[in-house]
Amino acid sequence: MSALVVAIARTGDREAFALLFRHFAPRVKAFLMRSGLAANTAEELAQETLLTVWRKASYFDPTRAAASTWIFTIARNLSIDMKRRERNMGTVDLDAVDEEADETSGETILMSAEREARVRAALAKLSEEQAAIVRLSFFQEKPHSQIAQELGIPLGTAKSRVRLALSRLRTLLEDLK
Amino acid sequence: MSVHSHPGDDTLLRYAAGVLPAGPALLVEIHLQACPHCRAAVRRFEAVGGVLLDAAEPAALAGDAFARTLARLGPAPVSGPVSGGLTGSGARRDHLEAGPSGSAAAPRAEGLVLPDGVRLPRPLASRRIGAMMPVAPGVRMGRVHVPEDGQSNVFLFQIGPGRAIPRHTHAGTEYTHVICGGFSDPSGHYGPGDLVEADGDVDHSPRVDDDGTCICLAAFEGRLRFHGLLGVVLRPFI
Repeated sequence: MSALVVAIARTGDREAFALLFRHFAPRVKAFLMRSGLAANTAEELAQETLLTVWRKASYFDPTRAAASTWIFTIARNLSIDMKRRERNMGTVDLDAVDEEADETSGETILMSAEREARVRAALAKLSEEQAAIVRLSFFQEKPHSQIAQELGIPLGTAKSRVRLALSRLRTLLEDLK
Repeated sequence: MSVHSHPGDDTLLRYAAGVLPAGPALLVEIHLQACPHCRAAVRRFEAVGGVLLDAAEPAALAGDAFARTLARLGPAPVSGPVSGGLTGSGARRDHLEAGPSGSAAAPRAEGLVLPDGVRLPRPLASRRIGAMMPVAPGVRMGRVHVPEDGQSNVFLFQIGPGRAIPRHTHAGTEYTHVICGGFSDPSGHYGPGDLVEADGDVDHSPRVDDDGTCICLAAFEGRLRFHGLLGVVLRPFI
């Protein structure tokens, strides 16, 4: 997938765009619906996300992130902006910090495919409940109460389980820069 | 600047996921500028987001979705070598340019006295900050405007040496970022760059170091309640 983004950046490859669209647009839509957007809004934003992939392909650095991660951040940013516009407000750079280069030395850069495989393996090592906690934390604005409700446990217990699940995840991913 | 106190993993994950409310997100953003350790953690969580996205069960698109997107593609993007652009910056770049005008336009925390060499963190540059009102002996606070989230409560505090923030509790989590100086509460001592999270049930009165003014930012989730008379005085404020 990363090669497809690079192909867009290098030669404006429309075939590559079509493949990316076919894979990611339906997933971005599903992802955004999961985070609470209405189907038609999620569809608009999914198209907008892929348009941004086309326009910003030259900013993609395959040594730093997998295409899926990069596309995830684009969809996330567009959805934050959309929610803020809905509240009738301007846009704000939530993570202008991304603009600053991190000092990653050559040997700490894992190729993105390997990186993605590591993250996938780490998620697979979590217990079912821990994986559910990570997903819920991703999609809910009030994750603790939602987790408590979905797992049928008290709020205090939910908080400590979130801590445990994330500290396990941190251990599994510690050496990923 | 050496940072000792960091946002919790769940806070960083929610930031990476884009579901942390705007007030706390502003403080995390400020913390990240000084903390490569947490920047790496956010990148890891973004990779988790990528994997979750990839694994999502696809949702059917409208029949003409691809055609409509193609029609909007326009010419091939400017070609050239793949730039050193960073993960996630693509979508934000436009907004940086289209964002609110620079610090010159924004009224700046009238009454704030910054010690020599101290500047407000960059993410505050485009934010309107209300006048610094005296709220307790040696304590001034001004509201940082976060219009994109009307429910967010973010305040800039200026607290004199040896002074304490009046005792308070809060319904949700309180996030404090130290800009300069330092303070202590029963959980420890905090200095510049530190981001401290306190649960709602914590009833505390942080005390500033004797050797200098402390300037910090606080974001509250949920209603803030001061004890005693100050609670009455501040009610219209918070």
